Amino acid sequence: MTSPVRLWPIIGRLVLTGFLLGLVIVVLYPLLWMFISSMKSNSEILGNPFAWPGSLDFSSYGRAVDRGVGTYLFNSVLVTAVSVVSTTLLSAWAAFGLTRINIPFSKPILMIIVGGLMLAPTVALVPLVKLMQSWGLYDTYWALIILYTAFRVPFTTFLIRSYMIDLPIDVDEAAVLDGASRRQTFWRVTMPMCTPIIVSAVILQVLFAWNEFLFALIFIGSDSLKTLPVGLATLSSRAVTDFPSVFAGMTIAAVPMIVLFILGQRYFVRGLAEGVGR
Amino acid sequence: MKALFKAVAAAGIVAVALTGCGSSSTAGPAAAPAADLSTVKYEGSVSVITRYAGGNAAFFEKMAKDYEAAHPGVKVNLQQESDQGYKDKIKTLTASQNVPDVYFTWAGNYAEQFYDNGLALDLTNVIAPKTEWGSTMAPQALDAFTKDGKTYGVPLGLDAKYMVYNKKLFADAGVSVPTDLEGLLASCKSLKAKNIVPMSFGNKDGWPAIHYITQLNSYNVPAGTLDKDYKPATASFDDPGYKQSLDQFARIVDECTTTGKGANGTDYYSQRDAFGQGKAAMFYVENLEFAAAVPKGSPAETDGYDLFRLPAPAGAKGDTKALTGAPDGFLINSKAKNPALAVDFMKFVTSKQNAETLASTIGFPSPVTGTLNESNSTPQLRSSIEDLQKASRLSIWLDTVTVPGVADAYLSGVEGMISGTKTSQDVMTAVKAASDQAK
Amino acid sequence: MSTQEKTFPPPGLSAAAAGTPVPRRRKPARKKNTWHGLIWVLPGLVTLFLFVYYPLVLNFRYSLETSNIFTGQQRFVGLDNYTRLAADPIFWKALGNNCLYAGISIVCQVFFALVLASLIENLRNERFRAILRSVYFLPSAISLTVTGLLFAFMYQPQGGLLNGLLDAVGLDSLQQAWLGNPDTAMLGIIMMSQWQGFGYCTLLFAVAIQRIPRDLYEASALDGIGPVRQIFSITIPLVREMTGLMMIVTISGAFQVFNEVMVTTSGGPDNSTQVLGTWLYRSGFVKNDFGYAAAIATVIFIITLALALIQVRYTNKRRV
Repeated sequence: MTSPVRLWPIIGRLVLTGFLLGLVIVVLYPLLWMFISSMKSNSEILGNPFAWPGSLDFSSYGRAVDRGVGTYLFNSVLVTAVSVVSTTLLSAWAAFGLTRINIPFSKPILMIIVGGLMLAPTVALVPLVKLMQSWGLYDTYWALIILYTAFRVPFTTFLIRSYMIDLPIDVDEAAVLDGASRRQTFWRVTMPMCTPIIVSAVILQVLFAWNEFLFALIFIGSDSLKTLPVGLATLSSRAVTDFPSVFAGMTIAAVPMIVLFILGQRYFVRGLAEGVGR
Repeated sequence: MKALFKAVAAAGIVAVALTGCGSSSTAGPAAAPAADLSTVKYEGSVSVITRYAGGNAAFFEKMAKDYEAAHPGVKVNLQQESDQGYKDKIKTLTASQNVPDVYFTWAGNYAEQFYDNGLALDLTNVIAPKTEWGSTMAPQALDAFTKDGKTYGVPLGLDAKYMVYNKKLFADAGVSVPTDLEGLLASCKSLKAKNIVPMSFGNKDGWPAIHYITQLNSYNVPAGTLDKDYKPATASFDDPGYKQSLDQFARIVDECTTTGKGANGTDYYSQRDAFGQGKAAMFYVENLEFAAAVPKGSPAETDGYDLFRLPAPAGAKGDTKALTGAPDGFLINSKAKNPALAVDFMKFVTSKQNAETLASTIGFPSPVTGTLNESNSTPQLRSSIEDLQKASRLSIWLDTVTVPGVADAYLSGVEGMISGTKTSQDVMTAVKAASDQAK
Repeated sequence: MSTQEKTFPPPGLSAAAAGTPVPRRRKPARKKNTWHGLIWVLPGLVTLFLFVYYPLVLNFRYSLETSNIFTGQQRFVGLDNYTRLAADPIFWKALGNNCLYAGISIVCQVFFALVLASLIENLRNERFRAILRSVYFLPSAISLTVTGLLFAFMYQPQGGLLNGLLDAVGLDSLQQAWLGNPDTAMLGIIMMSQWQGFGYCTLLFAVAIQRIPRDLYEASALDGIGPVRQIFSITIPLVREMTGLMMIVTISGAFQVFNEVMVTTSGGPDNSTQVLGTWLYRSGFVKNDFGYAAAIATVIFIITLALALIQVRYTNKRRV
């Protein structure tokens, strides 16, 4: 009589665990399949999808690099790095101005900056193309760096500001009493205290810039300036039937972000949680 | 070569549209000014842009080096891009008025926009068919860059569409090369009866189907009507031949391919591979791709392969001697500082010797006649070029000969026909509407 | 739907603005406004004005014009582009696809993720919980291009994982070219999006659930309420706000879809997978019809702005 009562939770737990693990497979298997396929031969790829490669062949990675993945990787690193620096700086300055200094019109300014979050990048696309061309920025690294900064300053400012606002202002004031200028206060006092949120902001910006596709598709024409997301799409049409090299290129693009996520998980979660509004 | 890009090729012209508002561009079409091409000063530099980055880059790299060696004091500034990269790059360059002296173009509407707006030098005096230079080339190739009697482009690769077939599979099924469309459908039936895939076909990108339609339209619609309809200003698209072409294509897909409705999800290149692997008896392919479709040592090469034109339907009202294809070409910037040098460079590139190099380095058959030989080409490529020269004219790919809106209506409409969601009548209604819109 | 777009979420002006009127420790020692302090916000402001707001305004102008390709001349056409839009079946098809995207995403990325997060947070083993959250999140860290290419391969008729799977379980009659069939292509892309996005939402819900005081659960357990009922009686009601937010963010993302479609089908076959973003791209950048593209952009703007305003109201209400 008592046994069903005790049995049900156990069955429930088993079913639940099975379900959760099943979902793990659904998530991980395609990623694993991508990696495995990069070592297969073309005919193996077109054959049984579940089969293992006949031999461990990493030559597809070399071919992917020959077809431009090396250049794309370099471009992605460059654009990501510069836009991370510019976005973080611009946002931290703005957040500092908005929280630590009594500037005029601070409320409308805040509205304007954070209001940028409400605008979809697609909306500005057509005019941006014309503007970028007339300013001579079209098809340069700058086009991407500037746009990745402009469209991310709202989010990043919001993120950093909401952290800065909770920092005690007395420390600043003490620094000012010690004769530090605002600039020195920013660099020596505020920024170090904001390290955790800066790390979150940086990680999220890396993720964004590394994976961004729309701007990279429209504002870059030269093959030599393409970043990975667009470069990979190009690769898949250029490699025609060399499928392993496409899988290799995909793996090359995916691995850095997976590693970043695993290493910076704590900051990831903080940034995302703050970002979506507590 | 990769017609995928042709589909959106016309997008390159976007550039100019985009700049207009920023810079006060010289409005309105301007006639290309006449330039003195008679004397060449071998000094300064010539800038060149191509779409042959990657595997095909070797040819122009060699040309630049050889030309510099032949003319000390001349510098060739060569820039090579991928198809898509070229398209985007030329946008920017047009926008900033920095078009290189020599620049690549696809034939058709894409090229015409350059001439119509005075961006291309009129080369009639040097390259028209009767001239010394022009007479070395297949007239069909020059024709592709001629508008209103004026020739603007220097053709480079000669590209045309052929049906390649696997000799062994044909023999196994006891079929011979069909002479008309009904014959083709009949041989598909015989091949199917022997459990052989008659024709491999993948239409994921939309353009492979459009190449069939291009050829069938030429067969079913009189040439004059076609020319008129491919220009929105004069188009009516009311010839019954258009609908017939679509219906004939639907029958080919239905009776000859096994991908059927799935063709839209099937990659062109993997289907090309299937032919190379001897898994399909026929494949409709550009002659530039012969080497890629049937690599050395592949089953299809062992089986033996040959080619024929997509057979015309019996009693077709159009030009049954027309062939689908178009050369790549190069235009000379009408604002080039030293146009004579730019023209001279292209003369060098299309000299008989270098035309042979074109085939031997990257497998492109040159429009310069008599340049393919046993050392630089396969017999199939040679026979395609021989046949091409018998064509009454080259029908430029439907998706680049027309304006982008019409091309788009055709691309998506034919996809819909393959999927069974559209009828040929629906497609023509949409095409007509798009054409009216573009007026 | 992507991480990219989702990390963009309008987190609510109010959440930010609401911080201001709570000046617990910053009010003292306020001097009068320091004008030169504006220098700190200026770089950000200028960038935003030049590259975000100015183009936005220009977009409205362009949507009322038509531009001649080569001469670059712009001609004012009034609402012409909008009337054409209203009569364009592909525009409606695209809008419908966006709605379908939003609908399915709400089911999978909001409701399913919420239930999933509740189940995970119910597990006893902390390590197991953390691993599950991370694993589920993993696809969100990957570029949509990679996901798109990967799924395009998985959906392939030949050598594709999905057809292989169907074959393995004896359902080979269902095999098809998933992305080549207008009936299944859109659904295929949407499901790919769910694969990529559900873990992101699950993670955020998990964070919200962790903020629920444990003693609520303990108290209800003492009352004999089982874990399943706890999910419905405690967890879901208490993360209501997060649920609302996630819904808006998800819908907003669904109307900005671009990358997913572009790398898999670019809108085909026969425009069956066209969404607003890709139709804008095709109209403007392939067909050179910029005024028309700008009109589509305005539609996207109105939809996303409306959603953002709802969100602002939502968060405001919550705060006050």
